[in-house]
Amino acid sequence: MAEVEETLKRIQTHKGVIGTMVVNAEGIPIRTTLDNSTTVQYAGLLHQLTMKARSTVRDIDPQNDLTFLRIRSKKHEIMVAPDKEYLLIVIQNPCE
Amino acid sequence: MATRVRPWRLGPAGSAGAEKLATGGAASAEGPGRPGPLQDETLGVASVPSRWRDAQGFRGETKSCQTASVATADAASQARKRADAEVQTEAPGPGVLPAPRHDSARLAAFLRRVEATVVRELNRNWRSHAFDGFSVNWTEPQCTVTCLHTLGYPPAQGQGLHVTSVSWNTTGSVVACAYGRLDDGDWSTLKSFVCAWNLDRRGLSPRQPSAVVEVPSAVMCLAFHPTQPSHVAGGLYSGEVLVWDLSRPEDPLLWCTGLTDDTHTDPVYQVVWLPEPQHSHHFRVLSVATDGKVLLWQGVGAGQLQLTEGFALVVQQLPRNTKLKKPPRGETEVGTTAVAFSSFDPSLFVLGTEGGFPLKCSLAAEEAALTRMPSSVPLRAPAQFTFSPHGGPVYSVSCSPFHRNLFLSAGTDGHVHLYSMLQAQPLTSLRLSPKYLFAVRWSPVRPLVFAAASGEGDVQLFDLQKSSQKPTVSIKQTQDGSPVYCLEFNRQQTQLLAAGDAQGTVKVWQLSSEFTEQGPRETEDLEQLAEEVAT
Repeated sequence: MAEVEETLKRIQTHKGVIGTMVVNAEGIPIRTTLDNSTTVQYAGLLHQLTMKARSTVRDIDPQNDLTFLRIRSKKHEIMVAPDKEYLLIVIQNPCE
Repeated sequence: MATRVRPWRLGPAGSAGAEKLATGGAASAEGPGRPGPLQDETLGVASVPSRWRDAQGFRGETKSCQTASVATADAASQARKRADAEVQTEAPGPGVLPAPRHDSARLAAFLRRVEATVVRELNRNWRSHAFDGFSVNWTEPQCTVTCLHTLGYPPAQGQGLHVTSVSWNTTGSVVACAYGRLDDGDWSTLKSFVCAWNLDRRGLSPRQPSAVVEVPSAVMCLAFHPTQPSHVAGGLYSGEVLVWDLSRPEDPLLWCTGLTDDTHTDPVYQVVWLPEPQHSHHFRVLSVATDGKVLLWQGVGAGQLQLTEGFALVVQQLPRNTKLKKPPRGETEVGTTAVAFSSFDPSLFVLGTEGGFPLKCSLAAEEAALTRMPSSVPLRAPAQFTFSPHGGPVYSVSCSPFHRNLFLSAGTDGHVHLYSMLQAQPLTSLRLSPKYLFAVRWSPVRPLVFAAASGEGDVQLFDLQKSSQKPTVSIKQTQDGSPVYCLEFNRQQTQLLAAGDAQGTVKVWQLSSEFTEQGPRETEDLEQLAEEVAT
């Protein structure tokens, strides 16, 4: 339990990180550093997008699989590390 | 001899009859005088009754039946106990996250697996220059500012009325303007109008508003309801506050304050809709007038606006952090001409005054006001901080929607001051016009852009990112230099800006794309500006 909190804290205190959250395989957030409504929104939308990205990669080459997903927007960058049971989502504001 | 064929069935009686006939016929043939060989004879008619076809007689019987009698009974019932109950839905509260079940050992294992990758990517991002200067165009860029519509109401323009205020409704498709006069010093009895145009309708006619309300006195300010698309509040020159419903053409007046002891005694310069603290979808109207009172009204019952809270500003009670010229004695009211609420703290507001100094005020102030003005609700003194003054009355204030401490004020000295709530001196002061400035508004989408309406007939758009000394775009609204009195950005369609001028026309301008799209780091730049100028 302490290890989970420590790891998340290490990621959260990295330079420029706005928020961190862990989402389970059904798209339900388990841990988050943002407020409720934002978390629910991010969790739902990114879960669907990750599933779509993964199926895209596997359709092109069935031997391949998704390892990391990054979305860069005008204001910040969203990074998703997918797994069989969980998703780790980190939102960072990179320096320009 | 004649032979006749008679069709009959030969039964036993029939053959006897036939013999008789045969002999009868022969006997007559041997009578006296033998007849000639071809002679007419009449024979008797023989009839043979039928044996098998009897006359069928009818045989009938009469019977009747009756159901057993139906039993009925009467009874009455009456409810003896009654109870009344009311039901009201509240706006939905924030969603609650369901508590999920998970195995923290597996979660720890997952985090251990991905941590290294994520940290490596975070570091790389922080140091990368890959996206420097890279920007994507999603929409067709528009390079210039164009005038989309020029709207006016000929009867009002014929009377020489000015547009004193414009407002967009909550859906962003209707623009309403109020007619009145801003240069009259004395009481006037002119009738004036409130007109609204629906810009999304196909048959939009610029000279014919889709809704017109006649008002007995000049209207000085207008504000649309934040959630109801057709309700609009207006403040009159006589001090009354009225609320109209533009979807009812035959009787638009919904609520009015009437002329009671509570109403303002001076022209109302600005009205604002405020959410109620308990029910956030009910709204109250706040009105600000030059008699020094700031009043909160609530619509009750049959069309009456009732005073719920009130504030009064007296020079003696103003916070002393700035040196102001004070009259020697007596309670002098501070005339207020503009109000703006902070978007970060709903009880904090900024008032612009005739003395030229903005005031920071709070709705939660407790101190009673030292005033002898009659009122049904105790008046309180809201001022908490006084900022350093302009050279003339402040006609407009606007709080930034992106930064909690910044606000702008525009005065008749032609300067726009950018203040921070934390210090009395303005952060920066820009001279926009040699004449008066009547309105200033922050852009709802770009943190560093604001627009100002000047007495020379232009609308000036400032982009603090590009240049902090001169306007980026200066739009000439009136040909003869008559002043532009009011302007408002459209929050739904962010490229539209409406401005009303002294000739009675409202022009709807379409801004170029640089004013409608937020750049990558504008909020941070705004904060940086606030910090660096303050030091």
